[in-house]
Amino acid sequence: MTPQLTTEQLAAQAGTTDRAPLGETHLTGEQFGELMGRTPGTASPEVAAAEAHLLVCEQCAAEFASLREAISLFREASNAYADEELRSRPRWILPVRRSHSQSLIPAYWVAAAAMFLTALLPLQVMRRHTLAPPAAGVSSVAVSNAASDTQSDEALLEDVNSEISASVPTSMQALADPTADARTVNNETSVSTTNQRKD
Amino acid sequence: MAFEGVQMFSSTSVSLENEARATPLDDLENVVALYQPRVFRFLLATLRDRDAAENLTQETFLRAWSARASFREDCSLATWLIRIALNLARDHTRTGRFRFWKRVTASAVDVAEVAAFVPTQEGSAEAHLIAKQQVASIWETVAGLSARQRNIFLLRFMEEMEIPEIATVTGLPLGTVKSHLYRALAIIRAQHDFSPNNTTTHNATTKETE
Repeated sequence: MTPQLTTEQLAAQAGTTDRAPLGETHLTGEQFGELMGRTPGTASPEVAAAEAHLLVCEQCAAEFASLREAISLFREASNAYADEELRSRPRWILPVRRSHSQSLIPAYWVAAAAMFLTALLPLQVMRRHTLAPPAAGVSSVAVSNAASDTQSDEALLEDVNSEISASVPTSMQALADPTADARTVNNETSVSTTNQRKD
Repeated sequence: MAFEGVQMFSSTSVSLENEARATPLDDLENVVALYQPRVFRFLLATLRDRDAAENLTQETFLRAWSARASFREDCSLATWLIRIALNLARDHTRTGRFRFWKRVTASAVDVAEVAAFVPTQEGSAEAHLIAKQQVASIWETVAGLSARQRNIFLLRFMEEMEIPEIATVTGLPLGTVKSHLYRALAIIRAQHDFSPNNTTTHNATTKETE
């Protein structure tokens, strides 16, 4: 177990120019973490002390370099693998761009409104037919139809009246004057015989 | 009264302005081209499942597109996207279904496949083999870290984010981020002897090659 350095000790060590012998004092896990997670250009006193220690401790410097190298290889390999994996996969089909889709939005609304009105119009017309009083044009047609019906009814009644008022009904006319038919038959016969004689 | 009216009008116009404000996500094609590899890499390393990583990458951009109005540019677009990806990965890993399928899925990442991508450097074939083994070993150790330690480790060393940026992405205080990162590094150091006198890995590799 190697003794761990405090920040103060590291800072004191950073001031010395001599290299610390191997196995004497080394960086703690936290100090390794500080070094690995540091932001370039922003050196805290802890990081500065740890960096100074790396200059004087060969073991810590070698271990730090090895760790950094291994993590760097891990990153490169993982990234290369992921990129290769992504290349082998089919590309996505992206939706249309915003500018296009946004310009289409009013058109969609207009189309939707038009469809709604188209659907609504026949319903409205039907509703008017059932609820509203008939219009002037419609009433005149209806009145004329009613008048013609009345006229035909009256004519029919007149016919019935005349039939009733007649002394002999039309269907009994032949029985009322039997000679009338005979005369006509005779006349017709005589005409046909004279024609035959002429021939 | 008139003053109130003016105030109301101005506040309405401001809110309308905000709604209509252009965001970097308007050009989705460009955003995907720029950030898709990065988001995918992160999700692949976190989930270690290719199909899940791809699905969640798509979901990340879908979520970002849907919530583009809420992107206030108080952080970079990359940070914002990684934050969405991280939340999705967290939700994904919470489900029991993921835990089951992780064991049997065919799209799980094979460590050897990742190690095969170790760049060839100048030096012996033996050194290259050692490097491959080291990468495979780190990959496995990272997989064994707690979710929080793993995410912070990957954000720092794969995404090369600074500590304050990681704090923004994870929503954790700076000190917590640091302590998780240091613990993750301590575990990795404990699993792998990076000291110059270490010959374990070297011996194992030479035996393998023999």
